[in-house]
Amino acid sequence: MDGDQVGASIRIQGLSKVFTEGNRSVNALADFSLEVRNGEFICLLGPSGCGKTTVLRIVAGLESKSAGSVVVKGREVVSAGSNRGMVFQEFALFPWRTVRRNIEFGLDMSQVPLQKRQEISSKLIDLVGLRGFEDAHPRQLSGGMRQRVGIARALANDPAVLLMDEPFGSLDAQTRNLMQRELLRIWEATKKTILFVTHSVDEAVFLADRIVIMTARPGKVREIIDVGLPRPRDRTSREFISVRGKVLLELDEEFEKARAKEMAQRAPARAASAQ
Amino acid sequence: MISAGVAVIVVIAAIAAALIISNQGGKEAKSGTVYYVTLAPKDMKASLSSGQIDGYIAWEPYVSDSIVGGVGNILEWSDEIMPNHPCCVVAVSTDFVNGPDGSELTSRFIKAHLDATVWMNNALSHKNSADYTLLVNMAVNFTQRNEIVVKAAFEHITFGYQMNSDFRSALEDFTDMYIETNMTTNNSLTDRGYSGVSDFVTKYVNGTYLSAAGSVAASDTILNPSDPIRLGYLLGDLHQMAQVVAQNTSVTGTAKSLFEKYGLNVEDATGAPFANGGAVMNAFAAGAVDIGYLGAPPAILNHLNAGVGTLIVAQANSEGSGIVVAANSGIVNLDGLVNKTIATPGPSSIQFLLLKIALQREGYDLKIKT
Amino acid sequence: MNAWFNGLDKAFIKALRRNWFNLLLSGISFGAFLTIWWLVSAWFHGDWPFGFRDWVDTAEYIPYPWVVIQAFLDSFSHRDPFSELYMGDHIYASMKRITLGFALAFVAAVPLGLLMGRSRKSEAIANPEVELFRPIPPLAWVPIFTIALGFIWGPIVMVFMGIFFPLLFSVRLGAKSVDPLLIDAARTLGANKIQIFTKVVLPSTVPYLMTGVKVGLGIGWMCIVAAEMLGAVGGGVGWYIWGTAQVGRYDLMYAGMATIGLLSILTTGVAGLLEQRLFKWMGTK
Repeated sequence: MDGDQVGASIRIQGLSKVFTEGNRSVNALADFSLEVRNGEFICLLGPSGCGKTTVLRIVAGLESKSAGSVVVKGREVVSAGSNRGMVFQEFALFPWRTVRRNIEFGLDMSQVPLQKRQEISSKLIDLVGLRGFEDAHPRQLSGGMRQRVGIARALANDPAVLLMDEPFGSLDAQTRNLMQRELLRIWEATKKTILFVTHSVDEAVFLADRIVIMTARPGKVREIIDVGLPRPRDRTSREFISVRGKVLLELDEEFEKARAKEMAQRAPARAASAQ
Repeated sequence: MISAGVAVIVVIAAIAAALIISNQGGKEAKSGTVYYVTLAPKDMKASLSSGQIDGYIAWEPYVSDSIVGGVGNILEWSDEIMPNHPCCVVAVSTDFVNGPDGSELTSRFIKAHLDATVWMNNALSHKNSADYTLLVNMAVNFTQRNEIVVKAAFEHITFGYQMNSDFRSALEDFTDMYIETNMTTNNSLTDRGYSGVSDFVTKYVNGTYLSAAGSVAASDTILNPSDPIRLGYLLGDLHQMAQVVAQNTSVTGTAKSLFEKYGLNVEDATGAPFANGGAVMNAFAAGAVDIGYLGAPPAILNHLNAGVGTLIVAQANSEGSGIVVAANSGIVNLDGLVNKTIATPGPSSIQFLLLKIALQREGYDLKIKT
Repeated sequence: MNAWFNGLDKAFIKALRRNWFNLLLSGISFGAFLTIWWLVSAWFHGDWPFGFRDWVDTAEYIPYPWVVIQAFLDSFSHRDPFSELYMGDHIYASMKRITLGFALAFVAAVPLGLLMGRSRKSEAIANPEVELFRPIPPLAWVPIFTIALGFIWGPIVMVFMGIFFPLLFSVRLGAKSVDPLLIDAARTLGANKIQIFTKVVLPSTVPYLMTGVKVGLGIGWMCIVAAEMLGAVGGGVGWYIWGTAQVGRYDLMYAGMATIGLLSILTTGVAGLLEQRLFKWMGTK
């Protein structure tokens, strides 16, 4: 949908982020670099606390960076804006608005006239499969349906990239699988660039073109694995299991490193001899 | 010709007769309404000087307060409305008087009240005496008004303790007015066991203890050392000065107060001083007051309407209220009050009743300001 | 305006049908209350087998239910003994005060509450005065307001003082409790600061606001007796209660209290209706 077919949608170079609380500071990210091509589906994977959500929030403009550069579609990211849509794990739907009005929120912000607004929201409602529920309130919907609204809402502004922060983390296993397939369908229909944060190796291998495995804190890119499998992917196929194995190996090593570091922090004397 | 002339005379005579007869109601073809609002007397002076009200009726010292302060002029004293009208009374709880030593204690109390009243009247008629100075000081303390106001106020109050036939018939008139205006009902009378208004006043105004007070002698021992008489009275009400005098230790010439002289242990009731007579009656009903000073109207109304078990056993004062109008208002008689706003202490007060009586005589209504 | 009210009767009948059992329970509970009241009255009046006749002092303080009901009905067709007004006049006078007092409190509390909820600095500035005046019982203001503000505005400001603080605190809490995630979502959808305030903060605060309105109205009615004790031009239900209590006509006093109860239910009900309409409007606007 975007005219820019050549070059990267997202270019992150040397990104670092330090959180300070009082006199304690946490190095969340250090020298994180990544290039996401137009129309790619990228998964960010890594141990807890590795900073993957932080990367996403910095790209979204919800968090400031400490150093480095983040460029989306040729423009430096300074603050949040409608060219980067976001989908949240807890859905973050506006409880007082109906499904249709939630989806139209972004259009309200840019003051799109009524006719056009309803055209766009109707199309999106069909796209995510919520026809018949336009006038329902979020509290009347199941988890899966709520996230469909979240996705439709994020797409309403026709953003350059779609940022997804563990969007299926709150759903049960069956719904999760269903939503993964739905997401792929929507992605193929809209050809958006997607940056997807997840805990689940399985999910990443099922969805992504490339999987970015992050190191433990301070986070940076440990390995990028090209999944290289045609879609729709069969979770039971040999190839799938093999990629999954590769990813798991990298992750486990990183987990071990993270644990060792933690132990080292707790018993510096013993760590000295272990070095 | 002659018959026509006779006819004319007859017609004129008939018209004249009709006119005379129609005026027989005693009233002129006057009518009008005076409007009232309720205020606490302590706030009435301020309200008058700020122009919120055109006048007010209250008990002393709040009348003299405005006059001395130059804020208002007296329009009519309450004794002009109804000479010798009863005002505050001493009431006793029937539970108390029927309880152990109740009769004796009540008689002694009334003796102290009687002595105090006599002492006050004596002091007030000898303005150069030390007693007068003492009384004024006590009053200044009690009412929190200055000396000039207090002295002027005393001029218009008559302290007394007798309950003679004028007193009783005045109370009968009040009760009749209350029944007429539906403040109380005949049903309430019969519910309390009275056959009518006279029966009520005869039984409710009980002179036994006043008579017995005559033979009460001074006593060296306190009759109720561990069970004090719980006394109720109104805040700063100069009418009820007798109880202040009876508690003062400089009055008798010995170091004892009048209450102590007659062997009485008297204490302020919980909640005293009270804001109004209704509150005193509520305290009676709750069993918190044994003997109380309050206006006759609430003593009547609350007993009839709410069945509060009390008896009126002595008078405390008569008169001592007045209608005040703004200093530069130019109002010189009751006619000038029509369509004006007058503050009263509240519908259950004697002042309200007196104002109503005064206005009714002129053919005017008293209505709440709308 | 019509669009607001049509469909209200259908909604009412629907609500009735859905809740019939609970309504029945409420009805039974109220009936039980009346029965217990009757029993207690009978006991105080000594009409019960084991009655206490020497409690006659307090018998009239607990009149029989039907005495009160009769007095209540009569008050609409008979003038009261001391202000010579009908209960209808009293209700009108009190409703005027409550409405004006409420309107003033609303206009003052909502902006201030929003400001204090979203801006730490504003909160710090306003806090000392708010905390100073909050605990003062409205009754304490009566003489001052009546003299300083007059007979018309004194009672209205009294009602204002009662409603203002609960409303302020509800709105402030609501403004503070806006889900930060919703603000994040709004930002990623292109909202600027003003839009975040009007399209996220305000709607989030509405449920808290409505709670504050209902609580405030209840307190306003509680203040009405104190507010109408003095001055009270034109009478009022609070004045009625105060006056009848003064002369010991407790049957009339209870009728007055029942009137306030009914009026309170009425105004809270109206607030509830407005709340529902507001939510509908917010959802589809």
